[in-house]
Amino acid sequence: MLAAARGLYFAAAMLLFGSTAFCAVLRRHLPIILPPPLAALRWSALAVAALAGCLWLAAAAAQMADALNAAVLMQTVTGTLFGQLFLVRMIALAALAGLFATERGGHVTSLPAARLLAAALMAGLALALPAATGHAANSGPPGFLAIGAAVDGAHLLTAGFWIGGLAVLAALFARREPNMLLALSLFSDWAMMAVLLLVMTGAINAASIVLGGRGRISPLYMGALGLKLALVLAMLTLAAVNRFRLLPRLDTGAIARNARLELGLGIIVVLLAGALGQLQPTL
Amino acid sequence: MKTAALLFLLASAAPALAHPALEKAMPAANASVKAPKLISMQFSERLEPAFSGAALADASGKTVPVSASVGGSTITLIPFNLKPGAYKVSWHGVGRDTHRVSGSFGFKVVP
Repeated sequence: MLAAARGLYFAAAMLLFGSTAFCAVLRRHLPIILPPPLAALRWSALAVAALAGCLWLAAAAAQMADALNAAVLMQTVTGTLFGQLFLVRMIALAALAGLFATERGGHVTSLPAARLLAAALMAGLALALPAATGHAANSGPPGFLAIGAAVDGAHLLTAGFWIGGLAVLAALFARREPNMLLALSLFSDWAMMAVLLLVMTGAINAASIVLGGRGRISPLYMGALGLKLALVLAMLTLAAVNRFRLLPRLDTGAIARNARLELGLGIIVVLLAGALGQLQPTL
Repeated sequence: MKTAALLFLLASAAPALAHPALEKAMPAANASVKAPKLISMQFSERLEPAFSGAALADASGKTVPVSASVGGSTITLIPFNLKPGAYKVSWHGVGRDTHRVSGSFGFKVVP
């Protein structure tokens, strides 16, 4: 249950962050594009993030104490870094709900620009804070926690921008946005930067986890990791085909198909990462 | 193998988590020592004090009173005048990544 809750939380938080962040970019650079209809997606993602976050807390508390009751839950929330950050994440999600509630006509991008940025910030907090309790942050030498958490947080945020941005594009495709090519071109530029950062932070995490690990690499871990990487490579291939082949040909139909497939693969990768995070990398 | 793992990890969407491991114990496992003034266990990661700890038992399995503390990545037990004989330390540690590990080791106190 812990792996599922963790994976679902990250998937929902990435959709929330990426969709609000890319809408803020759209608002700034392409105000000609009307807000995409994302209210249903965002409220659903918010509900999933809140529920999965609570399940994650309960499962983690049971794992830490080898038992689960009200006292263990209270001790987890008040006495552990994970629990304290859980509270902050829930406050960020509540603030996000407050911002979404002020949207007009079902479009959060009808929010004033400052509120849209605030929504992206709250979603970013909810997405990135678990990095402080990740292995990359905690397995390093004393004083490395802040650096490890920052790298890990950037890794989550860039993945979220990519996945959530794809959800915005899917909504624009569904609406037959007349300025679709402009939106695609803008997303392509930003997504390339996000993917570059994603790979760089992934490499740093890898150095911290694998090279700093003790003993042999677990075959099960490597198998799950191999599957995850294969899916990520498929996503990168689709993104490259869209950017360098289909976009110059203005083939929006094929781009829409690939973008939806890329989004689906992205969600599977994040859910798989939830399971991977529960495996021991070394024997 | 580790280089291959590093390449596999590139472009992954979320970091993996690992479990804390006992790196060093004083006295060492199966060691024969004079009555130690303290027993310490050093782990590979910082621990959550709320869910980490250790206990000491003598050869008959009876719990030996100790003063226990958890700080950073170390669990420390301060025993009181251990008599010669065999002892067993049972520990459990929870990393900040919420993973729980447990184990035990023995040592002998000689006159």
